[in-house]
Amino acid sequence: MFAYIVRRVLQMIPTLFGVMLLVFVLFNVFGGDPSLVLAGKHLTAESLANIRAQLGLDKSQFAQFMIFVKQVLTLDFGTSWSTQQPVSDIIGSRIGPSLLLTGSMLVVDLLIAIPLAATVAYFRRGLTDRIVTICCTIAMSVSALVYIIAGQYWLAYKWGLFPVSGWGNSAFHNLWYYVPLPMLMGLMVSLGPDIRFYRSFFVEELSNDYVRTARAKGLSERVVMLKHVLRNALIPVVTTVMMSLPYLLIGALVLETFFSIPGMGNAVVLAVNNSDFPIIKAITVYIALATMVFNLLADLIYKLIDPRVQLK
Amino acid sequence: MRLRALALMAMLTAACATTALAAPDPDKVLHSSFNAPETGYDPAKTSDIYSHGVMENIFEPLLTYDYVARPAKLIPLVAKSMPEVSADGLTYTIHLQKGIYFADDPVFKGKKRELTAADQVYALKRIADPATGSPSNYLVLGHFVGVDELAEKAKNSKFDYDAPCEGIKALDRYTLQLKLKQLYPALPYVLAMPHTSPVAREVMEAYGQNSLAHPVGTGPYILKEWKPGVKTTLVYNPNFRHVVFDFHPTPGDKAGEQVAREMNGKTMPQIGKIEVSIFTEEQPMWLAFKSGQLDELYSIPQPLLRGVLNMDPKNPRRAALKAEYRKAGLKISRVLDPEMTYWDFNMQDPVLGGFSKEKIALRRAIAMSFDTDQTIRDIRRNNAVRMEYTIPEGVVGHNPNFRYQYEYNRPLANALLDQFGYKIGPDGYRTTPDGKPISIDFLGDASAVGRQWNEYWQEALDSIHIRVTFRPVTFNDLLKAMRSCTYGMVGAAWIADYPDGENFVMLNYSKNIGAENTACYNSPRYDKLYLESQKLQDSPERNHLYDEMNKVMMEETPWLPGETRFRNRMMQPRVLGDEVHPIFQVSWRFMDIQK
Repeated sequence: MFAYIVRRVLQMIPTLFGVMLLVFVLFNVFGGDPSLVLAGKHLTAESLANIRAQLGLDKSQFAQFMIFVKQVLTLDFGTSWSTQQPVSDIIGSRIGPSLLLTGSMLVVDLLIAIPLAATVAYFRRGLTDRIVTICCTIAMSVSALVYIIAGQYWLAYKWGLFPVSGWGNSAFHNLWYYVPLPMLMGLMVSLGPDIRFYRSFFVEELSNDYVRTARAKGLSERVVMLKHVLRNALIPVVTTVMMSLPYLLIGALVLETFFSIPGMGNAVVLAVNNSDFPIIKAITVYIALATMVFNLLADLIYKLIDPRVQLK
Repeated sequence: MRLRALALMAMLTAACATTALAAPDPDKVLHSSFNAPETGYDPAKTSDIYSHGVMENIFEPLLTYDYVARPAKLIPLVAKSMPEVSADGLTYTIHLQKGIYFADDPVFKGKKRELTAADQVYALKRIADPATGSPSNYLVLGHFVGVDELAEKAKNSKFDYDAPCEGIKALDRYTLQLKLKQLYPALPYVLAMPHTSPVAREVMEAYGQNSLAHPVGTGPYILKEWKPGVKTTLVYNPNFRHVVFDFHPTPGDKAGEQVAREMNGKTMPQIGKIEVSIFTEEQPMWLAFKSGQLDELYSIPQPLLRGVLNMDPKNPRRAALKAEYRKAGLKISRVLDPEMTYWDFNMQDPVLGGFSKEKIALRRAIAMSFDTDQTIRDIRRNNAVRMEYTIPEGVVGHNPNFRYQYEYNRPLANALLDQFGYKIGPDGYRTTPDGKPISIDFLGDASAVGRQWNEYWQEALDSIHIRVTFRPVTFNDLLKAMRSCTYGMVGAAWIADYPDGENFVMLNYSKNIGAENTACYNSPRYDKLYLESQKLQDSPERNHLYDEMNKVMMEETPWLPGETRFRNRMMQPRVLGDEVHPIFQVSWRFMDIQK
């Protein structure tokens, strides 16, 4: 297993280099000139040149790429071009709110989606299955913006069940006061596809021979579902969850914007609007790294769930 | 002499008077909103109105504006009195008040730090320092004796703040002297901008590049928390010298009288904590306000205006809250911003630019084809008035009797083009008098509102048979094209940095091509008048020159004037003393809130 991990880690290097090259070309070659935005309304050729020199944009593309490589290797992306705060401070202060929102959303989503998917798969083609499937399809067809606008209007403003938006300084207070409405709105969007997706895994597992054998052996339906079907169906579920974990870091752009949540999503929107490349580059690299690491973790977890899986 | 002393006293106490210390109630919390993110809170480094609004409460410039006087009137703030100006207008001597202290900061190591003239000298030099990268350096460079030389030297080494500078120096601990290269009529206004506020050198040096997050001023509030683009929290500055509100509004100014009734006799500030949330989306901001989560709205979002205000379609100045909001006790304060929008014709564009009669006729015909009143109604939701002069209302030098003569008249526009030989070809579009096809490269953004403007322009240009190509670009590329004169037409806007006409007429000065002169207008006639106006203070003579400059612009048509928009601030019934000031971005320090 150790050799496998080493091999996978080594494979990450060219992948990361590719990501860096892509990000660099996108922003430094095709992206607009950020000094134009940063110079304010009285910009002159001289002030632009001064800003470009301060940002290092007057250096050759190769020199700028080497600086980027150094930043990635040291994980020090310098300071934000617009707020001049250290990028690490910005990311450090923004990751908590994002994880609180997206993390709690993922947990609740899994707690609802997996049992519901297993239940409807068990009763497949029955009335429950049809009702849940139809509800999921309808829920999936509605735009997230519609949920947010309607939720803020009815649940928060009209009925006063939640605050319209906002964020406090205490994680516990945020969790029970500010998170529920955006989480609910997020779940409205994510539950539909997740239930249908997980249902298909359970349906597939339920039609396998080992289920028939287990039943023939006289095992109870509870044991069949929980011990055999659930365990096997969890492999694709783990894949899906592990692949979604890196995106928890980036937050929920729309939810954070509408609910004034000071998370990574909000920081990304602000950085894009301000052409704040150090933040954009840092977040992109972190997400790429997280994706590769979680991908590896997913493979390792397969082995734990199902010892038959061979890591080669 | 005695009368002069009395007059000086009256002026000093016009807005406020010193009194004993009394901290505001910390439980009085104002929840306010901005419509867009701020940049940060270093006076020299920021230029956006939202950062400006917060800094008004943290920093104190030498001069400020009387909160209730209309039109805006300068009064001393950190300065003891208005500047003493030499007979030739080139030397300003300013005496600072004693006993003004910066807010506490770890940099001061537990000692109280008094504001001195040296802090003002440092602040002005810092704006000129290339390493600061100040977007406000135009306020200092080119004006004060010796500063440009220091800035030039600093391109190759560090800016020498200790080097003597004849143009900006402290005569003693509390006296500042500014020496100008030439007249600078806008200087008093510049000294009232938050950007030029005195700052402590040791603070700026300690925080270095991270100064945007560490504002330390002498104003009534200090920054407690800053989450860029999401939330800013200010709390009362215990070192702030307390003053008593004593407003004297112009008789008949109902809003000013209301402020005086609600605030006079109270100490400044009344609110212990201010929480500003940034809402880039309109619905959550509006719902948060309606549900009472917000105490004031910086400005009613444009799409909501018709649902909130009853507006006279014939007169945008007549607007009132709808009955349901009035009944709920909600309040509104409305003022025309000191700004203007306009459509640039690129004067260097091969199709539209130039000073020949045919080119002027083409630009004028385009101007006459566009119905500005209709776009004010449809796009601006009647929340703007036509711009008829290059200096907007409320700005010194504005002429309310001047009218641009671009009548909306499409038949006349077509006749004008016919007269100058712009023939309609078989494809239905006009060609130049020498038979070349015309296509206007119309620059814009890809937003929904940008597309809406394009539709109105498409219709206008179709009506005079002029072909147009809309080029949606990112904001960076828009700025780049405008600064490099590589477009045909584009929409632009300008808001006053200070309320003096000079800040607007400079937009068309040829030396500002590549910077503020986005029409790339190079008119010797206009330049001559502009340079003459630069030698004059506010006076009938200068106003006459401004009129002449407007006439030249009207004749040569580098612009189609647009409109000036209203700012509509809304408040909950519990908010007191809140009135939109034409120059201040926010009024928090002058306000109170009932718990």
